[in-house]
Amino acid sequence: MAYLLIRRTLGFVLTLFAVSVVVFAAMNILPGDPALTILGLDATDDALAALRAELGLNDPPLIRYLHWVGAALTGDFGVSHSFGVPVSGLIAERLPLTVSLAVSGMVVTVAAALALGIAAAANRGRAGDWAVMFLSQIGVAVPAFWLSMLLVLLFAVTLRWLPPGGFPGWEEPAAAARALILPTVSLALVQSAVLARVTRSSALEVMRLDYVRTARAAGFSRRRVLWRHVLPNALIPIVTIVGMQFAALVTGTIVIENVFYLPGLGRLVFQAISNRDLPTVQALVTLFAAIVVTANFVVDLLYLAIDPRLKARS
Amino acid sequence: MKRVAPNLLIGGVLVALVVGVAALSLVWTPYDHAVLNVRGKFQGPSLAHWLGSDQLGRDVLSQLMVAARNSMTVALISVLVGGTIGVALGLTAAALGGLVEEAIMRVADIGFAFPALLFAIMLAASLGPSLWNAVAAIAFINIPIFARVARASANQIWTREYVLAARAAGLGRFAISRDHILPNIAAPVIVQATIEFAVAILAEAALSYLGLGAQPPAPSWGRMLSEAQTLMYQAPQLAIYPGLCIVAAVLGFSLLGDGLRDATDPRLARAR
Amino acid sequence: MIEARALSVGFGPALALREASLSIAPGARIGVVGESGSGKSMLGLSLMGMAPDAAEVTGSLTVDGVEMAGARERVWERLRARRVAMIFQEPMSALNPLKRVGETVMEPLLVHRGLSRSEARARALALFREVELPEPEAKAMQFPHELSGGQRQRVLIALALACDPMLLIADEPTTALDAEVALRVIELLVRLSEERGMALLFISHDLAAVARATREILVMYGGDVVERGETEAVLAAPRHPYTRGLLAARPSVGDFRRPGAPRRRLPTIPGTVPPLDLLPPGCRFSGRCPVEIARCAAERPPAHEGARCWLAAEGAA
Ligand SMILES: Nc1ncnc2c1ncn2[C@@H]1O[C@H](COP(=O)(O)OP(=O)(O)OP(=O)(O)O)[C@@H](O)[C@H]1O
Ligand SMILES: [Mg+2]
Repeated sequence: MAYLLIRRTLGFVLTLFAVSVVVFAAMNILPGDPALTILGLDATDDALAALRAELGLNDPPLIRYLHWVGAALTGDFGVSHSFGVPVSGLIAERLPLTVSLAVSGMVVTVAAALALGIAAAANRGRAGDWAVMFLSQIGVAVPAFWLSMLLVLLFAVTLRWLPPGGFPGWEEPAAAARALILPTVSLALVQSAVLARVTRSSALEVMRLDYVRTARAAGFSRRRVLWRHVLPNALIPIVTIVGMQFAALVTGTIVIENVFYLPGLGRLVFQAISNRDLPTVQALVTLFAAIVVTANFVVDLLYLAIDPRLKARS
Repeated sequence: MKRVAPNLLIGGVLVALVVGVAALSLVWTPYDHAVLNVRGKFQGPSLAHWLGSDQLGRDVLSQLMVAARNSMTVALISVLVGGTIGVALGLTAAALGGLVEEAIMRVADIGFAFPALLFAIMLAASLGPSLWNAVAAIAFINIPIFARVARASANQIWTREYVLAARAAGLGRFAISRDHILPNIAAPVIVQATIEFAVAILAEAALSYLGLGAQPPAPSWGRMLSEAQTLMYQAPQLAIYPGLCIVAAVLGFSLLGDGLRDATDPRLARAR
Repeated sequence: MIEARALSVGFGPALALREASLSIAPGARIGVVGESGSGKSMLGLSLMGMAPDAAEVTGSLTVDGVEMAGARERVWERLRARRVAMIFQEPMSALNPLKRVGETVMEPLLVHRGLSRSEARARALALFREVELPEPEAKAMQFPHELSGGQRQRVLIALALACDPMLLIADEPTTALDAEVALRVIELLVRLSEERGMALLFISHDLAAVARATREILVMYGGDVVERGETEAVLAAPRHPYTRGLLAARPSVGDFRRPGAPRRRLPTIPGTVPPLDLLPPGCRFSGRCPVEIARCAAERPPAHEGARCWLAAEGAA
């Protein structure tokens, strides 16, 4: 158990390190001159040289990487070229929105998928099952950003129930929650389509097993057997997919924030790209990749928590 | 005769339709997709313009057709490039085994930390947004996926008797990989390619929607949608057609992939 | 008191159980033997209302005088565990792998009996002692994969006993166990049946095990109960050719398998069991029967002194 935990943690840290190397390499070794992009094409050579020196662009890449990682570890991601403020401040300001969106999206996804997937499995071969399977097949093929547009068309443009986009700020909690409804649903619908399929097939797999028959023979109701015996055992593959989906959801927020004009990290990264604001993009990409890696790490830990057999094997 | 599985049938029809339209756009579209006609903007469907015209009076059907071709091209190139590199890495890992295999697969794992969107963002930030960056980003995320599939399938084949016989006959590891392993992992690789084709279409649409893919005036379903979004109150229909095209293409390739998998791996099909 | 009359289980036209009649008095110990596919499990499952969804169950089945034919799942749920309980062949996979075995046994006590957790825990430990699970307190905290096969089977028996059923159906409870462990499980089942006055339906391939565990016996073939009677009498003087075949195919009659002796799961009779839908309409055994007469294949023999055999019926006439 302890050995397994240490191994996983070590792998996690190594992967984070590798991710930082990849991001740094992609952003700093590829051609392109940040000084030129900051100052514009009409800058004088002297000004360019001065800025390069100031940004440390003349140092060898290894030194620059170490500087960057060292600072990043202390929470210092440098200063944004375009906003002129520390990147960490920008992130702190926008993180809550993105996190709320991802977390609420995940909660809705899991709740909807478990309910639909288990219901489909329990009614295997009947109309409800076919409906869930059909919808989830379509759902997998629908781009989240198009679904958002359709939802906006229906609920904002036609019915006028919900705002089409924008964010009033956290000072008005009710309005803020309303503004997050459509984005959350857009994020969750597509993901829950995927997850409902996994839940269904995993539950069907478990329902064939002997201990489910034992539970029925013990006189437990269908519902109890389904929720207390089938579901916990069906969760193991579901957890894997949820981990992958959390990663998809987090990057999905990048898209959805742009559809709904929500001032989170996803909007920020696009503002940074159009301003060629490299330190900001670099910090954000690293952050997103780190979230993806962390999600996978958490899944590994969850396995250990859910399945007593894994503890035994290690 | 055996009945064709429904997912294979529907998937095949949708794919044939989308690919057919894309091919047709090479030789014929109702109008030149880029020709502006400011007077005839926002037309509804008519005999002249089956799907109407957009905010600049361009024929929507013609744009959708050319966009289909662009989408297919992006998906084809990225899956082909990413798939080839990935399969080569996977075969190498399986052929050499040991530390090399471990190293290759660990590096592939790192690739999974970067969804296509993040990759495209990095490339766009350092090189500027372009369709080729989108292709590179999608190709890149395909490498670890194919490396995994190829390695897993190849490792199974390596234990087969005819491979052992070939080794006994003194054939080298790479010759065996080429002559015996590769042909025998074709089925899972093709199935994966079909599924990744669908993923690539979705990714291209999303990247183009965000401005990280196809640049104006190249038509792309995703970019058409981002333009339509600003016109949602005037011309909601413009937000419908490109989305339907994406769904049809993605659904087609993913159904086809599922169907092919069931057909080539009956063990899996029965389990479902 | 459980009474089945002309109980049949059909999959389309094929009958996995054919008009079986059976009455189980409190404390009765009845063995069911027969080759694989003869319908033993189907008999046990239909007494629990747990025949597969695809199956059509006909005939009459009363539990405590209440007719259960066509009863809803809800009604069955109230009977299971409390009146009729069942344990299955594979102790490996018959326990929920994510639950500590103590929790598994506590669950019916909490759900059906409404006990508090501490009462349920005490009761579960008492059950573990009753089934002679070693170190009950420690074992209760373990997961199924941490127990041996015999221990798991004991946990399953404790689970089945939790609500004091009047009938315990044991579907090949010893097939997956070592001979020595199997012997002790059989002794346990017999003791529990005697102490509790609980009826036992003991399903097995193993004639020696049935001889040890039961007083009555049903011999099944092709879904039909071909012979019945007192266990000792039937095994000593079988009337049906199929029973004789079963006995002849045994390594040595009346001799319990010694520990470490090679296992013989299936007694073998020349020929193979045809698939359900290809069985002859008359006596199911015709076609494989060494002494068959003309009418056997077409007409179902009547039960005569426990044996459904034309030869026995006509010899008597
Ligand atoms: N779902 C089903 N559909 C069709 N036939 C079935 C189904 N389930 C069981 N059967 C058939 O019912 C018959 C009786 O099976 P049963 O399990 O009762 O035999 P058994 O005597 O318990 O055999 P074993 O010793 O192998 O456990 C078999 O021929 C089997 O093929
Ligand atoms: Mg059986």
